[in-house]
Amino acid sequence: MSESKRSIESRLLRGAHRTLTGLSPAVESLLAAVVGLLIGAILMYIWGFNPWKAYIALFKGAYGGSYEIASSLARATPLILTALTFSICLRSGMFNIGAEGQLFMGATASILVAYMALPAPLGQIVGLILAAIAGAAWSLVPAFLKLTRGVSEVISTIMFNWIARWLVLYLAIFILGDPNRAEKTLSIPLAARFPVMVRGTDLSYTIFVSVAFALLIYFVLWHTTVGYEVRAAGLNPTAARYGGIRNKRTMFLSFILGGIAAGLAGATITMGQPPTYAIYGGAAMPQLTNVGFDGMAVAMVGRNHPIGIIIAAVFFGGLNAGGRVMQFYGSNPVPLELVRVVMGAIVLAMSIPELIRIFPSVKKQGQELVGLFRRLTRKPVKEEQA
Amino acid sequence: MSLNDILSLLRISLHAMVPLALTAVGEIIGETAGLFNIGLEGILLMSAFVAVLGAKAGGPAVGLLVGMGTGAFVGFLFSVINTYWKGTQMVTGIGINLFAMGFVAFGLIQLGAPGFHDVPKAAELAKLRTPMGAMSPLILVALVLPFIVFWFLKRTRAGLMLKAAGEAPEAADVAGININRIRLYATTFGGLLAGLGGAYMSVAWMGLVTKDLSAGRGFISLACVVFSGLNPLLALLAAFIFGLFQGLAEWVKTLPSKPIPAQFVSMLPYIITLLVVSGAIGRVRFPKSLGEPYKRE
Amino acid sequence: MSETETAGAPPAQATYYLRAEGITKVYSDGTVALKAADVELHTHEIMGLLGENGAGKTTLTKILSGLLPPTQGRVVSPKGPVRFSSPREALDFGIGMVHQHFALVGPFTAAENIALSHERPFTTIQLARTREQLEALMAESGLHVPLDVPVEKLAVGEQQRVEILKVLSRDVDLLILDEPTSVLTPLEVDELFDLLRKLKEQGTSIILITHKLKEVQSITNRIVVLRHGEMVGDVRTEDATTERLAQLMVGQAVEGEAVAVELKDEELPTRVQRGKVDRAGESVLHVEHLTAKGNTGEIAVNDLTFDVYGGEIFGIAGVEGNGQTELVESLTGLRVPISGTATIRGTNILGVSPRQIYRLGVAHIPEDRWELGLVLPFTLAENAILGVHQWEEFKGPLSFLRWGKINRHVRELMDRFEIRAAGPSAPAKSLSGGNQQKLIVGRELAKDPAIIVASQPTRGLDIGSAKYIRDLLEEMRDKGRAILLVSADLDEVLARADRIAIMYEGKFMKVCAPSELNREQIGLLMGGVTDEEAS
Repeated sequence: MSESKRSIESRLLRGAHRTLTGLSPAVESLLAAVVGLLIGAILMYIWGFNPWKAYIALFKGAYGGSYEIASSLARATPLILTALTFSICLRSGMFNIGAEGQLFMGATASILVAYMALPAPLGQIVGLILAAIAGAAWSLVPAFLKLTRGVSEVISTIMFNWIARWLVLYLAIFILGDPNRAEKTLSIPLAARFPVMVRGTDLSYTIFVSVAFALLIYFVLWHTTVGYEVRAAGLNPTAARYGGIRNKRTMFLSFILGGIAAGLAGATITMGQPPTYAIYGGAAMPQLTNVGFDGMAVAMVGRNHPIGIIIAAVFFGGLNAGGRVMQFYGSNPVPLELVRVVMGAIVLAMSIPELIRIFPSVKKQGQELVGLFRRLTRKPVKEEQA
Repeated sequence: MSLNDILSLLRISLHAMVPLALTAVGEIIGETAGLFNIGLEGILLMSAFVAVLGAKAGGPAVGLLVGMGTGAFVGFLFSVINTYWKGTQMVTGIGINLFAMGFVAFGLIQLGAPGFHDVPKAAELAKLRTPMGAMSPLILVALVLPFIVFWFLKRTRAGLMLKAAGEAPEAADVAGININRIRLYATTFGGLLAGLGGAYMSVAWMGLVTKDLSAGRGFISLACVVFSGLNPLLALLAAFIFGLFQGLAEWVKTLPSKPIPAQFVSMLPYIITLLVVSGAIGRVRFPKSLGEPYKRE
Repeated sequence: MSETETAGAPPAQATYYLRAEGITKVYSDGTVALKAADVELHTHEIMGLLGENGAGKTTLTKILSGLLPPTQGRVVSPKGPVRFSSPREALDFGIGMVHQHFALVGPFTAAENIALSHERPFTTIQLARTREQLEALMAESGLHVPLDVPVEKLAVGEQQRVEILKVLSRDVDLLILDEPTSVLTPLEVDELFDLLRKLKEQGTSIILITHKLKEVQSITNRIVVLRHGEMVGDVRTEDATTERLAQLMVGQAVEGEAVAVELKDEELPTRVQRGKVDRAGESVLHVEHLTAKGNTGEIAVNDLTFDVYGGEIFGIAGVEGNGQTELVESLTGLRVPISGTATIRGTNILGVSPRQIYRLGVAHIPEDRWELGLVLPFTLAENAILGVHQWEEFKGPLSFLRWGKINRHVRELMDRFEIRAAGPSAPAKSLSGGNQQKLIVGRELAKDPAIIVASQPTRGLDIGSAKYIRDLLEEMRDKGRAILLVSADLDEVLARADRIAIMYEGKFMKVCAPSELNREQIGLLMGGVTDEEAS
């Protein structure tokens, strides 16, 4: 058997083998999602709604047609990035709850492109860079405080979230405000906007930015020494230190990467969401609010893995998009706020480790499936070792 | 500032202090036993909302009770997940916050207006007439409770057992203390106090409930806890200081000429929290007793 | 008969208090800690429980004091079988234990710690009354501690007294002390022993766990010896010689299972006799007057001076807790000693960060492989490059990891060291202990070290893997490297080391070739009896 032929086959099988044995965490996420939806259904029932009809409307609104899918993907775009913020930092052992604020700063920074007359694609690139820098800068101080003074990053990032909210509001009204329209900032100039991908929807090419960044993070984490050190520091700081890794520096780096991700998320909203391409909505700032927090839910359901995050983001994006449809559907429509209830319930369910333990039959079936596949794939794997 | 202004400021500060003090003291009990609950924000929000429902149904007292019950229930859930089921405290806390945001927003729509609901006068807890103006009786509770909890932690055997469970669970175990049960009681009671704080906000103080009524107070309470080194009296002080700054923010807004834009004034409480937590304002250091309970995960 | 103080007249009033029947304990990871142990305890008696590490002493007492349930067997009192499901129940029955690692709450004062073990949660601590009671107790027992200082601020000896007071305040009938003297000054030891004698006269039954032969002879009436989980001796103290005790503790050479598997009988004499007296290699590690403190502040490494030469295995034997861990930590960048020097071919290795230590030629096979050696969720390959991931052969441009080369390297390691696993992408936690250890060894050897510091390298490994690792170390030795082997497994050290040092209380009792000592002498040295003191 030629060396190359054997290795390709075995690599494929190994990949499949690994995916399936890695299914267990995916099954847990799925289970948590089911539990979350269940709790949502119970609440709907208590408030007098018809959960079944509501969920049908929800899923149709999320994945029912190309328009709907585009809408879901559009919602997913910033979620991928804010989820990465939380996830990268978690991998190095820190809790960065500041995606919300870092996103606000990133969005605001991207508006600065309005002052520059730049042609495409320079406009987009500069906008993204400005947003990334702003996001990273906003995460620097909490990181610094944690690593030098031991200040809980949970508290500091949350404080920065609130400070950012008010700061951005101020900037949006007084500095970057649109002279013609009171409740919005200047818009991103035409040349700097990301064109819409599917006509009639709000899905723009910013989704490629998100996915590209997710893939970049994947490569960094698993294929560079930088990412290696981040993961080691998060999993076993003692052994990492003994292996020559400077844990503090690594944690700092992860915060910067996380800040960049959140900043970019802000930019994808301002530069990619028709029709306004600006920050609007007064104090509420609806397009920006809660994207950071929802990102955390996405990260957890996506098991902190960039690929899982992409999938989970599409799911949560679908929930959001579907929610918008659901709230108009039928005679007694369910408000879209229910979606956040479901999200919270999913995260709560995820916080119970080995949720599977509570559903023993599911675990058993899952294990049997995995075992079956393992047996099927064992021979080639062993052969390759001989 | 005239005398009137000062009294006014004091009054606002005391009112603002209440939810922070109650929540912080509750969290101190929980953290002493070893659990770190960042879901306080969610508890405040949810109990504020549920309290309104209760108050509309049966009057302010019922509202407060229902709020406390909500808080206790969430606290109970949190501790069960994180003791008997060995969950991750951070994730549970984040889940609670997310859930609360959705739940309250959802519920508000059911009550009529999205994002906002006025509490009818009949359901509000009456304020007492004092020389300083109308003040809520719960201020008294918030002032007295820390002393009671302080005494409890220091001078009763139960307080001792709580501390042991948090500081040295192995030793406590050998002494026959049921660690999980103690933590359960502690966090449930902590939730109850936070629930009271939330109920106070809607039923006794502001007279309305919005979908972000808590405005980060849960986390500011955590900052109070950090500042206090798990000493309820210091937490009360911290709560008062933060309340003072919130009062100042309100006061600045009422000034005829606005020296500082409203947004910066709103930022003030959070900046102060940050400074305090970073130790820039001569924070008293309680290194050992503070670090250990967090490790008991 | 060796000189011993009289252990006291045979207690006439001694009556049967408690009996352990057929106690077997198997831990969840499969370790058999106790095998059908039978012991009878009497009132008015101090019983010494002797044995090496891993003999089962602590396990047995933990079962008696309610901390652990036995897998098989039972405990019987004159009133019938008893079963404790918690230490509190045992305490209520009358059994109290003073642990080796104190079960005290640091920030609490002594008074608070003692109050903790009493009932009724919602009453206020009647500190005044508790103090009165405690002071009476202190006067009676002769143990004095400051009652209002947080115990974490007390000296270790005082902390121990708090532990003892805690137990005494509950009026126990059986008092168990686990290695109590390891943290005491000689004066404090005398005070403790006076107290124990007084308690004995009052009728308390006392179990004293120790590995110190002199001690056990000076204070006990009776000595029970455990080895590898089995009871191998139960003698009256006055009838026991230190030689006999040492023999029981460490066993006869041919009886030891591990040794029998590795070596055929005919090999045994030549192996043990071979000990290079003149060294072919030069001094690789030179240590002079090294002194280091342990975690509790007492001196753990006491003015050690020695060399490790190229082409030899220098084995440090001894019961754990005599400074071996602190010595290894000092030499591998994990602990800063308070004085002395240690150099590798002239270059200082003390106080150097772990990051740098391997560059100076020190490879470390750590005692705790899960905490220091591996990142368990990582794959085999990821673990294999831990510490060397910045090497040029593994790290490409833009810090990309060359997985191709890395995987090849890992496969070589797997071949060379017979690591059985599904492949380089298998998670490290799926490997057996033996394979994990081989991975660590392989990784460390790839660093081409001048000296290999192996700390308990075969602990917890199956016999096959253990033998493999030992053979590997010898192979390295034959290639001229210096090996420092620290092990609590005496058989291992005796069988493989070229020179051994017996460590006791931070010092080397003797440094020589294994062939120069018989097992009895070794047992004595491990128990702290110097040559001159043995008869």
